[in-house]
Parts: sequence; structure tokens; C-alpha cells
Amino acid sequence: MDKLIDDEMLVAQFQSGRQNAFDELMKRYKSKIFSYLLRSVRNYEDAEDITIEVFFKAYRALETWQPKAKFSTWLYKIASNLAIDYHRTKTRHPVYALEDMEVPEANLVANDLYSDPVRQLEDQERGRIIREAVDQLSPKQKAVFMLSRYEGLQLKEVAETLDMAEGTVKIHLHRAVKRLQTLLRPLWENNEI
Amino acid sequence: MPKCIKSEGQAIDYVYKLLSPEEEEPFKEHLKNCPDCTEAVQSYDAVLQLTDKAQAEVTVPELALQDIEMNVYKRLASTHEQTLFSRIRSHIANIRSPFGWYKTAAASSIAAALIAAVIFIGNPFQPEPTLQLPETQSAYARIEEYRQQDIQRNLEEALITHHLRNDAWETESRLQRMKEQAQGTNWTKVADAHLQNLSSNN
Repeated sequence: MDKLIDDEMLVAQFQSGRQNAFDELMKRYKSKIFSYLLRSVRNYEDAEDITIEVFFKAYRALETWQPKAKFSTWLYKIASNLAIDYHRTKTRHPVYALEDMEVPEANLVANDLYSDPVRQLEDQERGRIIREAVDQLSPKQKAVFMLSRYEGLQLKEVAETLDMAEGTVKIHLHRAVKRLQTLLRPLWENNEI
Repeated sequence: MPKCIKSEGQAIDYVYKLLSPEEEEPFKEHLKNCPDCTEAVQSYDAVLQLTDKAQAEVTVPELALQDIEMNVYKRLASTHEQTLFSRIRSHIANIRSPFGWYKTAAASSIAAALIAAVIFIGNPFQPEPTLQLPETQSAYARIEEYRQQDIQRNLEEALITHHLRNDAWETESRLQRMKEQAQGTNWTKVADAHLQNLSSNN
């Protein structure tokens, strides 16, 4: 069955009083929304809090929700707005919790003949540089890039999510890729891919 | 950067697979004879490979997702409680205010007039059909359901960890978590019994 119909059916069921339908929607999207927010805010605790806020807002707004766009697009729109609010209000620097958890120190110990702790550390450092480069994009460029590249949204869906014209989305996308090219050029020139 | 007039945008669209078949074929042909655009395509492709790889390394821990549903319902329940509380508080504040009694009396008169109007001339308002928003009771019922699921999941995980992996530390932490979730229920006795068995085995 078509996924779009599935989500809409669940929403309709929820609107007619079947609360379990919302649980099914949460189960379906919590991982996607969490990982999108994690990439945006780069802090596990904040990503979790905002994910809860996304579903809280969705629950309360579903009463009047009309299926003009896909349910997932609407959910990403809530998440994206909350992420923008988060970046606006956050005065402190991002907590680089992701790096802390990427490769636990214990895993860096050579535990078999094939493991390479030096290579692991290099990979970890390369990952950090790349994510910091993505962080240097403007909020709109970052949102467009992440939604289209990592969440697999079509440009039309990105436009709906971010309330932008499709042409504007493309301009932000071009700028994002060009900026990343400038920032990451040393990595690919050094054959680090 | 390509010096070619073909535009960087087209190279990005090509790498991003945004070109239509009518645009893609001529661009592919163009690439065969244009080193600038070929270099641009290679460099954009490298950028996307790098970012894809780095982001693929960002994983969401399963543990972080476990309590999302329960916490959403907790948030809903607490908001409903706050709304009720603020309504009661503002009502009390009104009563304390020297003008509150006038307001209450005026509101009562309007309410009485509306009731009379409904009785004599029918309902003057046509309420739109609305969804029943979550009542606190309903949110608490969902929280309780998720709590029960969490208790059972932790017990199952503890038993699996103990019998299949023989990991005492992980088993104990699972049982402790289960006990924490089970406060006020008989499940705490079950957790205690397993914890006792675990410590006597060690």
C-alpha cells in the first residue's frame, strides 16, 4: 500500500478518535526526525527534547491538519522550524557530543589483527571536519542541504517544508554545495576519500 | 571553478541528479569535451561523497528512542494540567480582586441569558465538529501503557543478557531500570528477586 495513503489513513483514524494511530505515526517517524535534528543541533539531549516537542506540537495540531502535503513533509516542517528557533536562541557553542560517542576509546584498541586505531582516529577527525563544514553553512543552506541530501526529500518537498519557492531552494542548494567545495577542498585534494 | 559558460549550477544539478533527461544527455556530451566542467563535476561529486560518509557515521542510539512516545504523552499530560491549574488560579485571583465579584456576576448574568436564549429560540451557535483533544486521563493511560511495555522490555532484555551473554553488569543495570520504572507496583518484587539471584550467583 502507498506510504502516503498509509500516513493519511492513520491521521484520519487519529482524528476520528483512535489514539493508537498517533503512536504508529510516532513509531514510524521518531528515528528519522531524531536523526535529522541530531544532525542539525549536534547534541543528543537537545535533539531528544526537540523530537518530543515535534510530536507534541503535531499531536495538538493534527485536529486541523489537512492533507495538502505529505504528513512527513509537515512533520519535517515542524522539526525544521524548531531547529531554527533552537539555533536562534542558543547562545552557547554547540556541544560536540557526537564526537564523544562516535568511536569509543575502547574500540580504538587493536582488538584483532585487522583493526587499525590510527585509521579510526583519522576517520574520526575527518568526520569532525566535514560536520563542522556543514555547520558553517547559513541556516537556510544547511536546512536545504540536509533535507535534500540526508532525508531524501525532493526539492518540491524541501520547498514546502521550508516555505520557499522551488527556485530559491535550488539557489540555496547550489550555494551550499559550492561553499562545501571550498571548505572541503583540502580533504579531497589530499586523497582522503 | 569552471571557466566554462555552462554554469556551475548545471554541474551541481548533474551531480545531484536534478537534471531532466532532456538536459542530462546534452550535458554528458558537453562533459566529454570540457575539462572545466569535468573538473567541477568531479569536485562536487567528491564533496557529496565526503558529506554522505560523514553523516552516515552519525547514528541514533536505540536507547535514545525508547522513551520518546512516553515523554510525548508526559508532555501532553503536564500541559493539560498546567492549563487547568492556570484556569483555577486565574479564577481564584478574580475572586480575590475587589472587582472580581462584579465580573463574576456579569458573567453569570450573560450565561443565564444565553441558557434562556437556547431554551426559547434554539442554539444560536452552530459549533463546528471538533476532535476531542487529549484529556489528562487519556494521556496518563498512554503513559501507563508505555511504562508497562518498558518494564517488560527491560525484564526480557535482562534475562536475555544474563542467560545468553552472561553479562552481569548489563543485566543489573537493566533490572535497576526496570525497578525504577516499576515503582509502586509488584514488578519491583520481581526485579528485587532477580537482583538477589544475580548477586548470589556472583
